[in-house]
Amino acid sequence: MASKTKTQVTLAPRDTKTLKRLNELADVVVTAADRCKDPHVDIPARTLSNVRYNKARRFIEMGRNTNRRQLFNLSQAKSFMQTMLVASGVTQLIEQGKTTSIRGLFYLMKHTIHGTKEETFDNQGESDPVIEDVEVLLNSLREELHLYAKKAGEMVGDITLVDSGDEINCARMGSGGYGIPSIVEPEVIQFKKTSAKFILHVEKDTVWQRFNEDRFWRNNDCILIHGGGQPPRGVRRMLYRLHNELKLPVYCLLDNDPWGYYIYSVIKQGSINLAYESQRMAIPDARFLGLRSIDYERCALSDSVQIALNDIDRKRAKQIANYPWFANKKPWQKEIQKLLDNGFKLEVEALISKDISYVTEEYTPQRLKDGNWLD
Amino acid sequence: MSDTTSLSEGDELIQSHGEAAAESNGEGRTNRRRATAQSMAASQKEISVSEFFAKNRHLLGFDNPRKALLTTVKEAVDNALDACEEAGILPEIWVHIQRVGEDRFKVGVQDNGPGILRQQIPLIFGKLLYGSKFHRMRMSRGQQGIGISAAGMYGLLTTGKPVKIMSKVSKRSDAHYYELQIDTKRNRPEILNGKGEGVVIEPNDKGRRDIEKHGIEWIEIDHGTRVTIELEARYLRGRGSVDDYLEQTAMANPHVTLHYIDPDAGLWDRPRVTDTLPPEPREIKPHPYGVELGRLVGMLRETKAPTVGQFLIQSFSRVSPAVARKICETAKIGVRSSPVKCGRQEADAIYQAIQQAKIPAPATDCLVPIGEDLILKGLHQLLPGEFYAAATRPPAVYRGNPFVIEVGLAFGGTSAAQRVSREGLQEMLDASDARTLRQFLSSSFDGIGADSADKIIAEADMRPRVSPGKLEPEEITKLHEAMRNVNLNDGQSMSILRYANRVPLQFQAAACAITQTVLSTNWRSYGLSQSRGSLPSGPVTLMVHMASVWVPFTSESKEAVASYPEIQKELRLALQSVGRKLAMFLRKRLRVKHEGQRRQIFLRYLGEVAKAVSRINSADEEKLYEQLLEVAKKRTLDADVRLDDRGRPIDEKEIDFGKNVIIVDPDAEI
Repeated sequence: MASKTKTQVTLAPRDTKTLKRLNELADVVVTAADRCKDPHVDIPARTLSNVRYNKARRFIEMGRNTNRRQLFNLSQAKSFMQTMLVASGVTQLIEQGKTTSIRGLFYLMKHTIHGTKEETFDNQGESDPVIEDVEVLLNSLREELHLYAKKAGEMVGDITLVDSGDEINCARMGSGGYGIPSIVEPEVIQFKKTSAKFILHVEKDTVWQRFNEDRFWRNNDCILIHGGGQPPRGVRRMLYRLHNELKLPVYCLLDNDPWGYYIYSVIKQGSINLAYESQRMAIPDARFLGLRSIDYERCALSDSVQIALNDIDRKRAKQIANYPWFANKKPWQKEIQKLLDNGFKLEVEALISKDISYVTEEYTPQRLKDGNWLD
Repeated sequence: MSDTTSLSEGDELIQSHGEAAAESNGEGRTNRRRATAQSMAASQKEISVSEFFAKNRHLLGFDNPRKALLTTVKEAVDNALDACEEAGILPEIWVHIQRVGEDRFKVGVQDNGPGILRQQIPLIFGKLLYGSKFHRMRMSRGQQGIGISAAGMYGLLTTGKPVKIMSKVSKRSDAHYYELQIDTKRNRPEILNGKGEGVVIEPNDKGRRDIEKHGIEWIEIDHGTRVTIELEARYLRGRGSVDDYLEQTAMANPHVTLHYIDPDAGLWDRPRVTDTLPPEPREIKPHPYGVELGRLVGMLRETKAPTVGQFLIQSFSRVSPAVARKICETAKIGVRSSPVKCGRQEADAIYQAIQQAKIPAPATDCLVPIGEDLILKGLHQLLPGEFYAAATRPPAVYRGNPFVIEVGLAFGGTSAAQRVSREGLQEMLDASDARTLRQFLSSSFDGIGADSADKIIAEADMRPRVSPGKLEPEEITKLHEAMRNVNLNDGQSMSILRYANRVPLQFQAAACAITQTVLSTNWRSYGLSQSRGSLPSGPVTLMVHMASVWVPFTSESKEAVASYPEIQKELRLALQSVGRKLAMFLRKRLRVKHEGQRRQIFLRYLGEVAKAVSRINSADEEKLYEQLLEVAKKRTLDADVRLDDRGRPIDEKEIDFGKNVIIVDPDAEI
């Protein structure tokens, strides 16, 4: 069956390369079996202990530690099998020239193991990490595996781009905005022209809605993007490309809580889990515009907008303060310490308590004008 | 039952003047005396042993009607076994319990022993503290010469019926039949029948007619003794019952044939497992280390030896002339001085010297342990299970008395609760005096704790507080099914069968050194689960036997062994020895199970891996699967080849449990 589909599709050079890697992976098992040995694969470790902060390049890089996954190890047997299943599923996708979501792949591979009542994958939570394992194992990007993640994040602004051959003017997107696809590689999306001077990244769509309704992007000549909380790869890759190809500075307007700090940290330095993709996603020059822990006093907010910190928040804040890329930055230490001293967190929406358009008409323009941000 | 010696009058009487001294202090507010020394003297008098025990019958195990029945049977059977063994006869015992009234029973116990001489019969059965076993240092079941006479006395007190004894010495000799009662005031037997002379039964047809005429119960045998006692009692089945006692006796005495007719005329025959009598225990002299000062003084006064040296050598075991000399030297007493002239001071000096002298441990050939082989046989016959182990410790000594500890262990199998028949259960329910069903379950069956009882009741869909006597027939059927279906192994706790000189001990478990030692042993390291301060759980039955020339009971009713450190140490070592074997068995079982599961897991995923790989690189799926299967087999060889404790592979048949272990395949058809 595999050979039949091969003939139908003309493979891109990139796909041929991926297929070759997949074949090598499968050969590991065959070779081991031939020698009556225990087959295993060494997967680069996606843990905090295996990432390091590259000071020169200013983002997180993956270390060299690997985890060995063996077929004949009681606790790894199932995940070894799942790894091979993902590899075979991806092979199928590439050979047929199709892409699917990671959920789609989950369904493609999920079935009852012959002779048992056990499922190959119980839920998507089991298959997602295995997919990431295969990515690092093959040193391939997700899109090279013909996979995409759930789409989340929208953009609006004076920019014209070509998406899969369709020209899109992001200044004429109405109230909805342009949904950022999960694969935004140059093969799919090319930028045509823009008059924007910078990018404003906000945390979630409610805030983005406010800015869009107030036409902030038009008044301030910028591209307005949100990532629906923690920005997915597509959004991060889009930010990266806009920043590097169009030389637009990136400003982030996030909630004043550890989660907001972490989102900024991911945009700026890359994430631990996807450390292998930092070099094509991290934006070391991204700036943190707000909300700051001093804003409660600075903007004279009312008591009712406070949300008390819980134990997890405090613990998380201290962890973030110890990240090597924050550890040596005095303003950041002060910022996090102030948050802890406050004992509460603030959402961007808290500014609405002042006035509905306070955030778009006063807060943000003022900060930009003053150059009042954290780096 | 060939008792030969009698106590001196002085020993027999208990003086009472302690209270008088305390009372005459007179502390009343008025100065008038309530009583004078003279008036009190009038009421101060000797108390006879019989009177003392008649009042304090709980000391002898007659505290309640239920226990009285058991104690009576037990004393009679113990005596019968002792007599048979001493005479070298393979014992055959008949036990017959008959219900004669609401709470009145007639207990008849007959043996095929040597019989008792005519003139001894009244003394043995009608006088307390009369017996052959008290003064000698020899392993036997009875010790004091109280038991059977006390049972007779209890019978007399509660029903007014005399003790009936029939005894015959040989085939051609006359048999003698007596009806006796104890004169408690004077601790003396009174013969009631045959004008105070008893009845002679001739060994012919006339004799048979006489037996009929006098209404004597007698199973015709060449020689033997039968004692019949009527008493107030209660008959209950379950834990601590006569049935239980006889079953346990059979287990510890594989050379005994038992015939038992219970009050409901149910017949229970238990033929002997072995035809060899246990070797005859030798009588030994006391060991010097075990003698107390007072006893030493008495012995010095009574001895016929001309010199102290001779006295030491003759009266004690393990005292050689050299040791005797050494003792005398240390005590600064002439070897040749006369023992009669030794006063308290000299006796004390000798006593101290004995403690310092180096004397070999007592001879231990006077002990007759059951033996590991027979323990295993007994356990295997009476308890269904998968694994049996036994250990007999080498003899040891406490307070100068040699003793041996033996332990048998049975693991697995079903508990008593799962073996009881529907009818048996109904009888037990009817007879039970438990107030609630839950109480009934946990008090009637070994190994059912509160948890298991709750599980059974839940399974049977009943209320736990329902009275056991009020169940409808269909409810009983439901309960019976529930008892069979519920997995009791989880909540089941270890049951302990305690024995002293082959006699099962059934009461006061908590006070007994055996139970205490089992409790303080860490069973977790032997693969059983155990919460702190309680018995380990699991389908385990332990049989613990202490054989000694003198078992230190905590009371005269002989229900619990006293906790001497030496005894506890031996107990611990014996328990550890069977524990280790159990641990090996359990570990092996667990490992085989684990390995099997491991292979299962690997095999489960191999097909998927082979399919996935072949889809990627078009490898031959079949071939790859076969190859991976080979690797899997190689990797889980442990499922086929067992490893020993040190991880060395060994052949299954050679797994070394040491001697004295039986393993039964639980899946085998019986």
